[in-house]
Amino acid sequence: MILLGPLGVALAVFVAAIGAALFVRLSGDLPRRPVPTTPERTPFAGGETPAVHAWNRYHARYYVMALVFLAFDMEMVFMYPWAVVFVREGGIAFVEMGMFITVLLLGVLYAWRERAFNWA
Amino acid sequence: MARAGLQLGLKQALGRVAAGAPVPVFAVAGQGAREHVQDLRLDGRLRLVDSPGAAMVLLIAGGLPDGLAEPLAHLHDSLPHPRATLWWPLGAGPATWPQQFVPTIETRDGVSETLQAIQRELLRGQRPGEPPILPDEDPVPWKGVGPYGQGGTGMTGGTPYGRPMAELGADRDGLRLDVLPLRIGPFFPRFPPGLTLDLKLAGDVIVDVAPVESPFAGAPPVGVCRAGARIFVDALSQPVPVAGLELARAREHLRWLADALVAVELGSLGSRVLRLAAELRTSDGDSIRTLGRALRRTQAIGWATNGVGRIPAAAVEGLGAGPIARAAGLPEDERTHDPAYSGLGFEPIVQRDGDAAARWRQRLGEAAQSLELAARAGDRRTVPTGSVESPRGRLDGEGNATARFLHLLPGVLQGLEWGDAVTTLVSLDLDFEEAVFAETARAGAVAS
Repeated sequence: MILLGPLGVALAVFVAAIGAALFVRLSGDLPRRPVPTTPERTPFAGGETPAVHAWNRYHARYYVMALVFLAFDMEMVFMYPWAVVFVREGGIAFVEMGMFITVLLLGVLYAWRERAFNWA
Repeated sequence: MARAGLQLGLKQALGRVAAGAPVPVFAVAGQGAREHVQDLRLDGRLRLVDSPGAAMVLLIAGGLPDGLAEPLAHLHDSLPHPRATLWWPLGAGPATWPQQFVPTIETRDGVSETLQAIQRELLRGQRPGEPPILPDEDPVPWKGVGPYGQGGTGMTGGTPYGRPMAELGADRDGLRLDVLPLRIGPFFPRFPPGLTLDLKLAGDVIVDVAPVESPFAGAPPVGVCRAGARIFVDALSQPVPVAGLELARAREHLRWLADALVAVELGSLGSRVLRLAAELRTSDGDSIRTLGRALRRTQAIGWATNGVGRIPAAAVEGLGAGPIARAAGLPEDERTHDPAYSGLGFEPIVQRDGDAAARWRQRLGEAAQSLELAARAGDRRTVPTGSVESPRGRLDGEGNATARFLHLLPGVLQGLEWGDAVTTLVSLDLDFEEAVFAETARAGAVAS
């Protein structure tokens, strides 16, 4: 390994990785698999066959949680430029960010009261 | 030619490696087979899987009534190729469901070896995989109204794979969304043998549920009595040792716990509990109490069971629902009427909450209490009064606690998410076989 030098080691790892990926890819293809029959494709529900198709529209109740996450995400985005100017601006920047976070916090408390953090 | 040779060589090499792995088995527990199938979990040579799609061998243990022939055929055909079936009758009589594929094994010792041999032969190509029982065709081919099969009503047009789309229904949030009707069972691994539910789901919330009549009920008895249930059935008609009865009760509660632990994905702990149940002695009360403390500290169990599936005491009062009633605070227990228990210091244990967590605590508490009673009982024998307190509740000539509780099931499950519904069902410890065993024993007693 030492004889190869760092570039040689990197090349060897690269070639080995490509070889392993090819082996995994090809070995998956080589044994011929029979096409699954209709009963094999049927979803398992304990032995009974489903009467209707499983494609259906349902209420994704966790979407409120996703919206709350987005709100926090955007808050973090605002905090990066704020952190840059914080030292220069001093106390006024701190107060402004405090107001911003307070408003967001009120939103979170409202969401909490509305049971937005319950998964379903 | 070279490609074909390489294929064959690779297949054989992989087959040899795979043949040494634990055999993936989908086990169907028929009548009298619940304990036997449970004990297979302790065998490292086998891996009990929860879906036929992950299995190589279908193991049918115990007797199955004829009403289950069609679901069994569906189950058989959903195993991927190559597949095989093994029937382990456990004393059950011949059945009418398709047996042309089914080799039979009689003894427990031979089951694992036979399953291993089947896997080896299948993977080496020495044994052909079983052909399907049902025809390989869609119920209705996918076809819309257009000239190329496109279009039509519904979200995608046509009837995808022969099945219509779900209909609209009211959602609990005031929306109108699809309500999916689904029949779960009778071979769903988390359900007790014989339970099938007709569900209507909105997402994973149960909108409506109705239990389908158990195929075991009314069918001629096809299995022998489970070893764990036998002493309780015997106690209906003859005096039995209190110590033996209480030891059997503790064992049944631990066997239930092993299944419940598998349901909350703590299978290895479940295996330890099964081992404890198999070697249970009257001096093991401390082991059960230590186990109870460990389970109470396990956060995963707390999250799954606290406040889930609450059953108020008023709903089960007078039903003789055993641990379900006692977990809701009702001190109902047939043992309080049995003179054999007087002087033993027996007082029914009760909880307050009536939820799944309370039922877990209740059964563990009763298991430890039963061992204490067994140790104190000496050679006392029960006095047959026509009813007995089985691990599930009152067992008498008219049926068992499960039969009396079943009409309450829709009210308990409606509005629950599917995961909570399974946790609730597991915590109820329903048993459709007990009543059949009791009925069979009673008929036998009348006949003799």
